[in-house]
Amino acid sequence: MNVGKQLKEGLISQNPVLIQLLGMCSTLAITTSVANGIGMGLSVTIILTLSNIFISLLRKIIPDQVRIAAYIVVIAGFVTMVDLILQAYFEELAESLGVFIPLIVVNCIILARAESFASKHRPLAAAVDGICQGLGYTLVLVVMSAIRELLGAGTLNGVEVFPSEYAVQMLALPVGGFLTLGCLIALTQWARSKTGQGGK
Amino acid sequence: MSRQAQTAKSQKTSFSIDPRYIGRLVGTLTGICLVVALLLGIVNYVTKPLIDASQKAKQDAAMAQVLAADSYEKLEFTTANVTALYKAVAGGAQVGWVAETSTSGSQGAIQMMVGVDIDSRVTGVSIVKHSETPNIGTKVVGDQSVLDRFIGMSHADGGEITVNTGTNRFDGVTGATYSSKGAAAGVNAALTAVSEYLAQGGQTQ
Repeated sequence: MNVGKQLKEGLISQNPVLIQLLGMCSTLAITTSVANGIGMGLSVTIILTLSNIFISLLRKIIPDQVRIAAYIVVIAGFVTMVDLILQAYFEELAESLGVFIPLIVVNCIILARAESFASKHRPLAAAVDGICQGLGYTLVLVVMSAIRELLGAGTLNGVEVFPSEYAVQMLALPVGGFLTLGCLIALTQWARSKTGQGGK
Repeated sequence: MSRQAQTAKSQKTSFSIDPRYIGRLVGTLTGICLVVALLLGIVNYVTKPLIDASQKAKQDAAMAQVLAADSYEKLEFTTANVTALYKAVAGGAQVGWVAETSTSGSQGAIQMMVGVDIDSRVTGVSIVKHSETPNIGTKVVGDQSVLDRFIGMSHADGGEITVNTGTNRFDGVTGATYSSKGAAAGVNAALTAVSEYLAQGGQTQ
């Protein structure tokens, strides 16, 4: 097990959003404010880590034919728990994330990590993987929501930087999500080609 | 494991109809479901009172904001756009109504609390839930000074409230016409509900 390598993979070289292109729906939808980005990123990280550990523990018990069904049950269970806890203790955050918390169930990052990593590794490695991939997702959300909130609404984490009359409102709309994500992915590919990592 | 080996393995097992194997599949899945259900039950038991309390507090706060009263009594009355009607009582006498409305804005339903006084005039409007476009629709539903323009309006002043036109005019926000109309429709629904309730013989005490 190599924590450094896993962390580098999660944050950069195998970043779930920018390289694996997973979990795009929530990435596009909720990155309108930094608070949302952090909240969603951490929720996914927690659920991903818990489901990774659980699935890794059960990897020898779950029969191959019903593994996807079993993963979904485990993931849905954790998502519902996090949803209830958010509603009870972090009401404002739960309200601004809205339907995207329940939708984490079908967030493909979690299912992908369960299938490709947790079901083949020990619980400790799976937990580290969950944290690293989750942080990679969070990083992208925070960068994207910072760009969109700053340029789209003139604020940064709710603090006014310049009057909202001068903001590019388009960036706060769904179309702005696509534009920002596209630019970030292009930037990543460019950086990868410079360092000789990227394919054609 | 190579792809061929994986395919061979799944092919071999997928044709197995050994009852014990089927039993194991069902048993494992049932077991996992039971454990998850148990955990969920525990979390629900712990968080439910908190969630209910915070929702109730939010609703009470929204009602108090539009019409101050000592207590709100739910009436058995709903219309197409009014999901609940409350009688507001202060000092033993009715001071008005609070209607919970749901009307369509530009992106989805706008849920509001509308306070109506005993003379069928709007005392306040507050938003419970909306999904209007940030920076456009929110110039209406996110700006209390815009919503406060409804205060004092009544159907007695010239019929239904209309946006930027008509005899009973509400000045909407440029660029957010649908959100403005949605909010106005909620206020209209509340005023209509109160007059219908009175027409049906509902008593003003």
